[in-house]
Amino acid sequence: MKNLLMAFSIVAGLTSSAICSAQAIVGKPAPVFNAVDATGKQVSLADYKGKMVVLEWMNPDCPFSKAQYSTGNMQSTQRYAAEKGAVWLSINTASVVRPGEMLASWMKSQQGSPSAIVPDDGKIARAYTAKTTPHMFLIDPAGKLVYAGAIDSMTGTNPADIKTATNYVKQALDETAAGKPVSLAITKPYGCAVKYSPSA
Amino acid sequence: MISTLCRGVAILGICVPLIANAQHATVRTEHVQAELLVHAPQGLEAGKAASLALLLEQKLGWHTYWKNPGDSGLATSLKWSLPAGASAGPIEWPVPERLPLGPLMNYGYTGKLLLPVKLALPAMSSSTLLPIRLHAEWLVCKEVCLPEAGEFSLSLRAGKVYSEHAAAFSQAQSRLPLVAAGVTARARVNENAVSLEVSGLPPTMLGKPVQLFPEESGVFDYAAEHSERWHGKDLTLSVPLSPQRSESPSRLHFVLASADSPGIRLETPIDRGWPADSGVSSVSTPAATAPVQSEPPHITVPPTSFAVVLSMAFVGGLILNLMPCVLPVLTIKVLSFSGHASNRKLLATGGFAYFAGVVAAFVALATLMLALRAAGTQLGWGFQLQSPVFISALAVLFTLIGLNLAGLFEIGSVLPDSVTALRARHPVIDDLLSGVLAVAIASPCTGPFMGAALGASLTQPPGEAIALFAMVGAGMASPYLAASLVPGIARLMPRPGPWMGYFKVIMAFPMLATVVWLLWVLGQQVGTDGVVALVGFLVALAYATWTFSAKAEPTTRFALASSGLIVLAAVAAWAWPALHAPPARAGTASERNWQPWTPAAVIEAQAKGRTVFVDFTAAWCVTCQFNKRVTLADPGLLASFETSNVLLLRADWTRRDPAITEQLTKLGRSGVPVYALYGKQDQTPQLLSEMPSVQEIQTALGKL
Repeated sequence: MKNLLMAFSIVAGLTSSAICSAQAIVGKPAPVFNAVDATGKQVSLADYKGKMVVLEWMNPDCPFSKAQYSTGNMQSTQRYAAEKGAVWLSINTASVVRPGEMLASWMKSQQGSPSAIVPDDGKIARAYTAKTTPHMFLIDPAGKLVYAGAIDSMTGTNPADIKTATNYVKQALDETAAGKPVSLAITKPYGCAVKYSPSA
Repeated sequence: MISTLCRGVAILGICVPLIANAQHATVRTEHVQAELLVHAPQGLEAGKAASLALLLEQKLGWHTYWKNPGDSGLATSLKWSLPAGASAGPIEWPVPERLPLGPLMNYGYTGKLLLPVKLALPAMSSSTLLPIRLHAEWLVCKEVCLPEAGEFSLSLRAGKVYSEHAAAFSQAQSRLPLVAAGVTARARVNENAVSLEVSGLPPTMLGKPVQLFPEESGVFDYAAEHSERWHGKDLTLSVPLSPQRSESPSRLHFVLASADSPGIRLETPIDRGWPADSGVSSVSTPAATAPVQSEPPHITVPPTSFAVVLSMAFVGGLILNLMPCVLPVLTIKVLSFSGHASNRKLLATGGFAYFAGVVAAFVALATLMLALRAAGTQLGWGFQLQSPVFISALAVLFTLIGLNLAGLFEIGSVLPDSVTALRARHPVIDDLLSGVLAVAIASPCTGPFMGAALGASLTQPPGEAIALFAMVGAGMASPYLAASLVPGIARLMPRPGPWMGYFKVIMAFPMLATVVWLLWVLGQQVGTDGVVALVGFLVALAYATWTFSAKAEPTTRFALASSGLIVLAAVAAWAWPALHAPPARAGTASERNWQPWTPAAVIEAQAKGRTVFVDFTAAWCVTCQFNKRVTLADPGLLASFETSNVLLLRADWTRRDPAITEQLTKLGRSGVPVYALYGKQDQTPQLLSEMPSVQEIQTALGKL
């Protein structure tokens, strides 16, 4: 009986380890998450099945995020996504979670228009291995992760560069909306480190 | 003097020395003091060694980045404006430090840092003035990051000796990685890592642990530890690739460092290149980073393909045959082959029909589950077993099977003649139905086992989920099919004989034992009254079945059967309410060490810094009960729990509980057992295997 149970558990173990990869991998189903947004509403990735979803890691204190907003690049990408019918979640990961009102008022001051602002204590960031602010992800209507990486082809905070850079997120939105595979599915994100709590 | 002036002028600003012939220029920000230095010990002349350098003195806690900054950050950059004919080389980067930040890893520098470049000069007349201008940009970070920049200028004189910073330059020189002659490296891409073989390393490094810094970005998982193995003077490293790899450089550069030795810089091509992409659409190199590669970069795909998962589902199905509640059924079916042994064709057809029945039942289950998922119903495998009525129905079924095997009644005489005739006329349909029945009977044993597969299928597209289930069914039905097809296997089947009668009766008892287990489960759900009600009903049922099949004269038989029906109806009426009564309390978690699980209890304990171990269990889950009695009762383990001050919580899913269902979904599971160890608040809980060993749990505890 014990041997039987052992054999049983081995097979069960193999089966589960084979399927339960919770990590975000481009081309695989995006990790689902539930969270409470800055206004106290429940946000669940599962609710957006059938729509494209953009995840933006942002940080009001990070010069790279700030440069994206001060040049209007992030806002224009948000409007672009909205025109394509995509949902946009601006996620702020912090070791000490910021109050939602603070994030919301900052976003308002920047005239940004995400669908929701999501304060995160690191759970969502870990699932997506979010590294930088900004770090961008695009999930297709079937819930598959189709883009992970930088907002654009530059690497710094220089406003002049931002204007001439290729916007990878707009490109991925276009291609996904057209039912095409994303030609540049993974790029190297750049920016400040996502603020995980220091003890890993 | 000049630096003092500059300090007054600039935060992030431009600092132009006011005096011509100035020897250096300094920019001071809140976090960094930066200075442009020159070093020409043999005089500034064509062909003589000369260097320029940016000196960054970083405040405590602040850092700037290496050429590959790691997961975040930005390398310092220098832009020179030099006299005609002069040129500056690239930054000669000292060996960096590892700067971990939560799950991220950066490479950079703290404290005092000198970034030298080689300066080449054209031939020129002595005493010519050489204006040197530098625009430098660096990102300096602590918790926050600040991009900073500075303009520097120096006016140098050709032929003059500059050696006042000799100490700083020679110290910087000692921190540069060496390109040692005789050091060779080979790299090869394995599935998820690059395997790197290095030989000829200097004696000071031999046998010591090494730090490894990849220069190419967008390739490696910097935070994951590499593994290293010394074989004498040769070092083999396995460097994990990033799951979000965006680059496929044709050559790799690494810096290897170990304590008390200068770093070594390695360059290696990749043997056999990057593997051909097996998944996602090809990805080209972003313009902003490394030079464009000739071959398209690829994305690594996790090693387990769907085919492997399918084959494991098949094996899982095979093993289901050995389960105590399946094996008797299977044996009974195979016994019936002896009756058909003369008709091979009929036997084979029956085998296929059974096979189809089993697969169809699994597919139906999967379809039902998918339909419910679509309807947004929270659902887990074994959910039927959370319903007292379903448990009772199973108990009735098993009692009937047991009584039949024991010989209290014959099936043929219970079933109406027309149905018996149907069976006889359509043995294929009979086989098909018995396949379906086998799956239904197997569900108590398979529920716990299937948890992981179901959890996965919840996240899978419908097609794949159905394929997975069909495969489990195929595995389960294949021994039966094989026995019906291959004469060799059929011959291995037991021969008919008087022993069959004994065997049949013996098989009755495991069936009745299963009823005991079902009663116990029911007891967990509705308490003693419910169990008594069901046992009463089962006795009435046994009586009724006997009255139906008793061999007697028609009038006596009618009287008996009527009494049987009356008794059955009366007892059913009496028993029914008890089976519906609310539970006394699901899972009386009586063990003193364990407390009932609530989401709040976990959060509260975590806030107090306590580790929490949660046992997601159910009375109807055999594996859960086995673990609970063997592993979780281990005195050594309980002692470990106590020493680590672990809060033990038990989430009892014996009856349907939406809070537990939700938590299981969050953990990526849809069934029990699940064992979760919660460490610090921001950590994802560790999930243990479904049959964890004492050692596995202790190791997991040790990792916190």
